Amino acid sequence: MQQKQQIKQFILENFLFSEDPSAIGDQDSLIRGGIIDSTGIHELIFFLEDQFKLQIVPEEMTPANFDTIQTVDDFVTRKRAG
Amino acid sequence: METLCTRVERVTRDASARLALIDGERRIDYAGFWRQARRFAARLRDSGLQTGDRVAIILPNRIEAAVACYGTWLAGGVVVPLNAQARLRDFLPWLQHCGARHVVYESAHRDAAEAVAQLPAAPARTVLEDGQALTDDDITESLPAALLPEASDLAVILYTSGTTGAPKGVMLTHANLLANAQAIVDYLRLDASDRVLSVLPFYYAYGASVLHTHLISGGCVVLGPGLMFPHLVLDAIEQTGATGFSGVPSTFALLLEPLAQRERPLASLRYLTQAGGAMSPALTRRLREQLPAPRLFVMYGQTEATSRISWLPPERLDEKLGSVGVPVAGVQWRIRREDGTAAMPGESGEVCVRGPNVMAGYWNNPEATAQVLRDGWLHTGDLGHLDADGFLFLQGRRSDMIKTGAHRVHPTDVEEVIAELPVVREVAVVGVDDEVMGQVIRAFVVAAGELPPRAEDRIKAHCRARLAAYKIPRQITFVDTLPRTASGKVRRFQLMEQTATP
Repeated sequence: MQQKQQIKQFILENFLFSEDPSAIGDQDSLIRGGIIDSTGIHELIFFLEDQFKLQIVPEEMTPANFDTIQTVDDFVTRKRAG
Repeated sequence: METLCTRVERVTRDASARLALIDGERRIDYAGFWRQARRFAARLRDSGLQTGDRVAIILPNRIEAAVACYGTWLAGGVVVPLNAQARLRDFLPWLQHCGARHVVYESAHRDAAEAVAQLPAAPARTVLEDGQALTDDDITESLPAALLPEASDLAVILYTSGTTGAPKGVMLTHANLLANAQAIVDYLRLDASDRVLSVLPFYYAYGASVLHTHLISGGCVVLGPGLMFPHLVLDAIEQTGATGFSGVPSTFALLLEPLAQRERPLASLRYLTQAGGAMSPALTRRLREQLPAPRLFVMYGQTEATSRISWLPPERLDEKLGSVGVPVAGVQWRIRREDGTAAMPGESGEVCVRGPNVMAGYWNNPEATAQVLRDGWLHTGDLGHLDADGFLFLQGRRSDMIKTGAHRVHPTDVEEVIAELPVVREVAVVGVDDEVMGQVIRAFVVAAGELPPRAEDRIKAHCRARLAAYKIPRQITFVDTLPRTASGKVRRFQLMEQTATP
């Protein structure tokens, strides 16, 4: 499965409790929509670190990186490129 | 008579170029703030708003939320700040119950727009884009004289409960707001040099009091980032040189870890305030260890008492750890036994309060008002005792209200939604202790027949579509029966205890 799809599936299952891919768009705000809260962000980061073998430091935990599925995907791509 | 409006008007006259609010890159000085409030007031009057009409404000913390509030007052209106995280099923009954004549909301807020569209009598609307000012800032325009409200006029209606039964909208007068704000200003010793980082929504009483206390002092309110990225909150305090920071226990719990990673953090801070539920002595100690310099004010209150009822002088914190202190200026309290007589020091009872901070009642709900305003006293529903020095120690509440983070959740709001599902026969919702959030929501569900696959997710998804995110149960437990009293009432307490000892 592609990286973005994996991220989307994790968010769908864990924050939207749904299997319906149309429940959220890649550009929809996870933060403003209240989809992810202060606990959820840690779950997402654990998932990304585990799944993609990354180390995410506090400075990288910003709205710019985590606001949408697209920005999370871009962030992970940059991290994996090293 | 003075009001918040006359006080902010005076600050504007004396120091118009001083910054009133900072929201990221956007900032507004007192002259701009007051001008925009007056312009908004003029627009409200032009659109037909009459004295005493209600203006609902559905906005997250942004400059316009504050401008709209003062603008409404200058138009003679009553502000109804609604929880911006609420959903259609909350907005509709609130807007109908308060009879909103004007609604302010963001264009991206689908539930707010839908609620306004569904109202039988269409209110006037102000719809804002991201970063858009409430009015154009035309300094050359001459404005009609503002209507300064009287102290006895109704200023705000704050809805504290959800949709079950008749909504409870706390009515606060301008006299209530100023008396409580002034008491807080006095003990925090706020002045024009203060700059507070605000992370609490203005639509909650605590967040509103942070806003008003700093505006009447001529200080500056910096709108902080959310607690989702705690290190950004710390960055914001450092970058803006904030002198004050206010939070609920979970706010401070979330900040501990990033605080520990910094050397000599937050040197500009002069004071911290904590309210919105009891902070554990362990968390208080850890916070004090990490931030020994700022004075920590532990406080207690409720919306029905405008916001603040008591405060613990910081110099007594160690000695009285676990106490919420003594009444704020002008407020009296009595601890009453079940039979209404006064409890002795050390003896537990209901906290009853009298003073200029006590609400005028619940909007259009005389039954609910009569339950809590009796013989000149506000019956808070909070249980506690006074020690020999008159310091209050709280021991819980009579009601089932759940406190999770900065939010209050009535179990029935969540139960109603879960009960809509055919797979659910019965449901009871309780708050269970959580180290960070204070409490998290757990639903106990009795299924009607065979459970479908992923039943827990289905229930959560159903909640997500209908409730504010913070009301979605964190945990769902399926049980055969719910414990009930002889009269058939669910024993929530037993469910909570069951959870505590798994």
